[in-house]
Amino acid sequence: MIFNRKLLKNLDLAFIITVVVVLIMGLLILSSATLNVNTDQWFFVKKQILWIIIGLFSLFVVLLFDYGVLFRYTRYIYAFNIILLLAVLLVGSTAKGAQLWLSLGPLGGQPSELAKVMVIITFAAFLTKRQDRMERLRDLLPAFLHIGIPVFLILLQPDLGTSLVFFAIMFGMLYVAGARSSLLLKLLGAGLLLIIAALVGHVKFGLPLPLEDYQIRRLIVFIDPYMDGRGGRGAGWHVIQSLVAIGSGGFWGKGLFNGTQVQGNFLPEHHTDFIFSVVGEELGFLGASLLLGLYFVLLYRVLQIAFKSRDQFGTLIAVGVASMWGFHILQNVGMSIGIMPITGIPLPFLSYGGSSMLANLISVGLLLNISLRREKILF
Amino acid sequence: MNPTAIGVRRRIYYLFIFLAVILFLLILRLGWVHLVQGEELYQMALDNRMRDVPVEAKRGTLYDRHHKELALSISSDALYAIPPEVRQSGKEQQIAQELARILGMEEAVVLEKITRNSRHEWIKLKVPPEQVEEIKRLRFKGIDFAEKSQRFYPKDNLAAHVLGISGIDNTGLEGIDKSYDSELSGTPGRIVIEYDAGGREIPQAMHMYIPPKDGHSLVLTIDETIQYIVERELEKLYQARQPKAATIIVMDPSTGEILALACRPDFNPNDYNHYPAVNRRNVAISNAYEPGSVFKIITAAAGLEEGVVRPDTPFYCSGGLPVGKHTIHCANYRAHGSQRFADVVANSCNVGFSSLGLNMGVNSFYKYVRAFGFGQKSNIPLPGEALGILVPQSQARDIHLATMAMGQANAVTPIQMLTAVCAVANGGNLMQPQLVRTVLNVHGEVIQESSPQVVRRVIAQKTSEELRLLLEEVVANGTGKNAQVEGYRVAGKTGTAQKPAPGGGYLTDEFVASFVGFAPAEQPQIAVLVLIDAPQGYPYYGGLVAAPVFSAVVKDTLRYLGVPYELPVQNSSVEVPAGEKSIEKKITVP
Repeated sequence: MIFNRKLLKNLDLAFIITVVVVLIMGLLILSSATLNVNTDQWFFVKKQILWIIIGLFSLFVVLLFDYGVLFRYTRYIYAFNIILLLAVLLVGSTAKGAQLWLSLGPLGGQPSELAKVMVIITFAAFLTKRQDRMERLRDLLPAFLHIGIPVFLILLQPDLGTSLVFFAIMFGMLYVAGARSSLLLKLLGAGLLLIIAALVGHVKFGLPLPLEDYQIRRLIVFIDPYMDGRGGRGAGWHVIQSLVAIGSGGFWGKGLFNGTQVQGNFLPEHHTDFIFSVVGEELGFLGASLLLGLYFVLLYRVLQIAFKSRDQFGTLIAVGVASMWGFHILQNVGMSIGIMPITGIPLPFLSYGGSSMLANLISVGLLLNISLRREKILF
Repeated sequence: MNPTAIGVRRRIYYLFIFLAVILFLLILRLGWVHLVQGEELYQMALDNRMRDVPVEAKRGTLYDRHHKELALSISSDALYAIPPEVRQSGKEQQIAQELARILGMEEAVVLEKITRNSRHEWIKLKVPPEQVEEIKRLRFKGIDFAEKSQRFYPKDNLAAHVLGISGIDNTGLEGIDKSYDSELSGTPGRIVIEYDAGGREIPQAMHMYIPPKDGHSLVLTIDETIQYIVERELEKLYQARQPKAATIIVMDPSTGEILALACRPDFNPNDYNHYPAVNRRNVAISNAYEPGSVFKIITAAAGLEEGVVRPDTPFYCSGGLPVGKHTIHCANYRAHGSQRFADVVANSCNVGFSSLGLNMGVNSFYKYVRAFGFGQKSNIPLPGEALGILVPQSQARDIHLATMAMGQANAVTPIQMLTAVCAVANGGNLMQPQLVRTVLNVHGEVIQESSPQVVRRVIAQKTSEELRLLLEEVVANGTGKNAQVEGYRVAGKTGTAQKPAPGGGYLTDEFVASFVGFAPAEQPQIAVLVLIDAPQGYPYYGGLVAAPVFSAVVKDTLRYLGVPYELPVQNSSVEVPAGEKSIEKKITVP
């Protein structure tokens, strides 16, 4: 057993409390959001709690060993990751036009969620080994390949949102690992241009894209949700109803369980992708900005852990998790308030979803692990 | 010492700043949506889930000037369905079958309605009470009643063209019911029901009842009794002579109040769908006719006011007056010979009036035509008023002037004609025709009261007095003898107008017979116009067809109004109730 009681003096209490508060808030919101979804009012809450328990268990398991051990097993982790993603494509089941579900007994889950954490670990190790070779574009090509393979498999599902998260993780980790900022900015700009060009090409000239029709439509209605060809009742419906939900909440909100947009089912996907709109409607500006404040504390603590990590590997893992969560928050909240296109990625600790919860709690475990072992233990 | 390089630390710091900025921007945007757009979005959220079932306000009552009800609103039950609830109950077939049986409707029609893809659907309006009871007992889910008020006109056809009609949706479609719709209709109430996105009524959701505000009531200037007299006489005439159309208007010349207005053909507003649409046309205001000789009153008024002519000005009628290429003839090619202007009026001499018109000149003549309100709407508060047609002044040549002076070439509406004659009768003021005396609120309190409105002074008091005498002479000794009313001095003028043929010229077999006048001549209480468009058979002259009707209307109306006799009465069998006086009278009669 590598775990030592003396490590506990390094426990980051603020981080833990923040996570617990967000988790409790998440359960409250989820219980309201799922009030009218299933005949069993507590069906989703119970499942979510079950996943939290599984997640916490995994978290403790992660704490038991020194994260440094992972450095040695990165090759196996990477391979396992790829196998899981391949398995989804081969034997996974389809939900909402994408094949991203893998059934494992009664629980089942989305491996792409866990893939993020595994890629953070393997990429951190990868970058640690190549610390001094980050200056030129040519130096970065192996890094792109490292990320590119899992992203390609996820795009095949197809899951656009999750693959975007990988890019966010990659850029965050590359940046902190020392890649030239100007180079990263150019890449980012080029990537955005490429996406826009592809979309324009698709709409105007019928360029084939590896995306489903509904995903492309969502990107287009981002410009104007009422331009969905059905006066806001088609692909633009989600954004409009989300904005209506949030805006109608006002400063104080309509109160938990009292959101008319949520309880009347006007807001689709309100327990998963659009859970933030439930916060906005029922808890108002006050509650929603409080949640964003909690996320701020969370990200602050994560980067603090990165800051104080004893080695580059730990720093990069923490940076990877911060980039992942940061992007999830930006993307999820952003689409709820109409400043980002709709892609179905969950809000950390709030959205209903087992794999996402498990992955996030494992990440918490990794972070605590890095935090606990930030100094050499003095005997 | 932590092994993490300085550069890495700086970059972590920048990454933190970057994430903090993103969170800050999200909060900014959130504040914008929540606090700035909040109001608007809250309304959208309301619209999303609230559906209204309208509860109609009761339309205000229409009273005659003595507060007798002419039109009122009664409530009826309307059956509606909330299709999503019906579908949810899974008993569509059974519901449709039962409802169809009770209501006597096609089952397929009912089924289609109650399963339609909408949130609210009317199944049947005006459901009789016993059927309402039966349906309510069945307690079908998603099937309910709402109270709808329905216009009821207790006097049926009486004054139908004034009162108008109002549709089942509580809006006035014609007549006063239309022109005063905003006052009468009130504010509808609502049953607000909260629905979810699937259109299902939420069981514990908000049900809000906003009661309707009933409409205001109107007290009209119409006198039910006079209206009745007018309807009776008009109906008699209509049955006997079967004209294309006919109208009688009774007006108080001193105030411009319409006391009665009736048209034929007519309709029952309770059942207006069963009448041809043409029956709903208000002939009195919507039809323009060439007025014929009744218009000579206007020519005479203009001539006297302008000083072009005096009652004793000598005229000579040879039976024809050459005007350019044309020749004006008197009726039946008669020659009236030497006469004073008073005789010209009494004889309705075309030659005399044409030469008077020519003497006056185009400008003076048009000045009075316009001042008397021709070519403009009288602004009587009824929809569908016609302007009439005047020969454009710039195109008017001598022949036009000569024919216009005797009442041809121009077309005027009956209401314009009577309003103009009222100006002659009341001392020279053109009055605004009025139909509404007061507006009452739900509690019967007066909230708006009309007062007589002078549009403009047209002729001097003196001119009015002179002309009244001339017109009295028409009835006493001239062409209007049939308009005489025992016991009263009556003034008036006959008219028999030709009708323009569609291709030009005039029809030889259709005439418009009319009589317009007022009584008592000295202090007129009522002015009456009788117009008959194309009476069947002979005679078709205004003096023979319209004047007797005028006489009958005036006689009963003046008696009803209690206007004292001015002249000795020979036969007063109706007026004197007791036997003694009539015996006395019989004795006095030689």
